[in-house]
Amino acid sequence: MIKIWSMKKNEDQAAKKKPKTSAAQIRVQKDLTELDLPSTMVTNFPDPADLLNFTLTITPDEGMYKGGSFLFTFKINANYPHEPPKVKCEHKIYHPNVDLAGNVCLNILREDWKPVLNLNSVMVGLQYLFLEPNADDPLNKEAAEELKRNREQFIYNVKSSMRGGVIKGEKYDVVIKEP
Amino acid sequence: MKVHIKKWHAIAQWRWDTGNNDPDDDGEGDVCGICRVPFEGCCPTCKMPGDDCPLIWGECTHVFHMHCLLQWIGTASSKQQCPMDRRPWVTAERKVD
Repeated sequence: MIKIWSMKKNEDQAAKKKPKTSAAQIRVQKDLTELDLPSTMVTNFPDPADLLNFTLTITPDEGMYKGGSFLFTFKINANYPHEPPKVKCEHKIYHPNVDLAGNVCLNILREDWKPVLNLNSVMVGLQYLFLEPNADDPLNKEAAEELKRNREQFIYNVKSSMRGGVIKGEKYDVVIKEP
Repeated sequence: MKVHIKKWHAIAQWRWDTGNNDPDDDGEGDVCGICRVPFEGCCPTCKMPGDDCPLIWGECTHVFHMHCLLQWIGTASSKQQCPMDRRPWVTAERKVD
C-alpha cells in the first residue's frame, strides 16, 4: 500500500527518467515483433536504430507480376497509428494502382486507415495489389484502361514493363529478379 | 496442532471490468486496439495506470484507453468512427454488455 502511494508521488520524477521513446516508436516496435510475412516479402532497416524508416521488397510468387522484385519505402511519422504509414514504390512500374512517381493507391493507406490496423495489414494489402490489380481505383489510368479493355494485352504490357520496356511512351524500370 | 501466524502479506490485484471474466485468462490478451498496450497498462502518453488513464466504452461495445480513443476521434480522418467497426462513435455511459 505505502509503496504504491509513494510510487504515485514520484510520478513526475518517473516522467523525467523515462527514456524518450515516442508512442509511435513503441507501437511500431510491437507491430514489427508481430510481423508474420510470407517468404515473398522481406523488410530491411538501413539504419537499425531507426524503426520508423525502412524498406519492403515484394517478390510475388504468383500472378502476372511473378518474377519481379518491387521495392517500397515506409515512412512512419510521430502520429502513427493515428495516421497511416507513408508508403512509396521506389520503382517506376506499370500498375493501375501505382502512379509513375511511386504513389500507391491502397484504401487502407488512405481513407480506410484506422489505428487498429498494423504494418502487417499494410504489407499484406500491398502484396495483394500485385495479385489482383484493381482497375476501379486507378492512379495509372492507361494501365487501368488496358486491364479493363484487354486483360491479355495488359498482362503482356506488365511482362514487357518489368523487363524495362516502353509502354505508351513511358519507359519502366527493370524489376526482373536475378535468377 | 497450534499455528501461530508470525507475519502475513496482503496482496491485491485489479483489473478493468471489460466483461472478460474468464478466470483462465491472465488478461494478457486484453489490449487496447490503438496502442496495443494492455488495458491495465496505460496509454503511451500516461506514466501510471489506474483511474488517471481510464477506459472508454462505445455503444458498439468496443473498448479502448480513453486517451487513445480521444486522440483518434480528434483526428480529422477518423470521421468520428470507431476504429474497430467504423460505426459512428457513441460513448457509452458504462460497460456495454
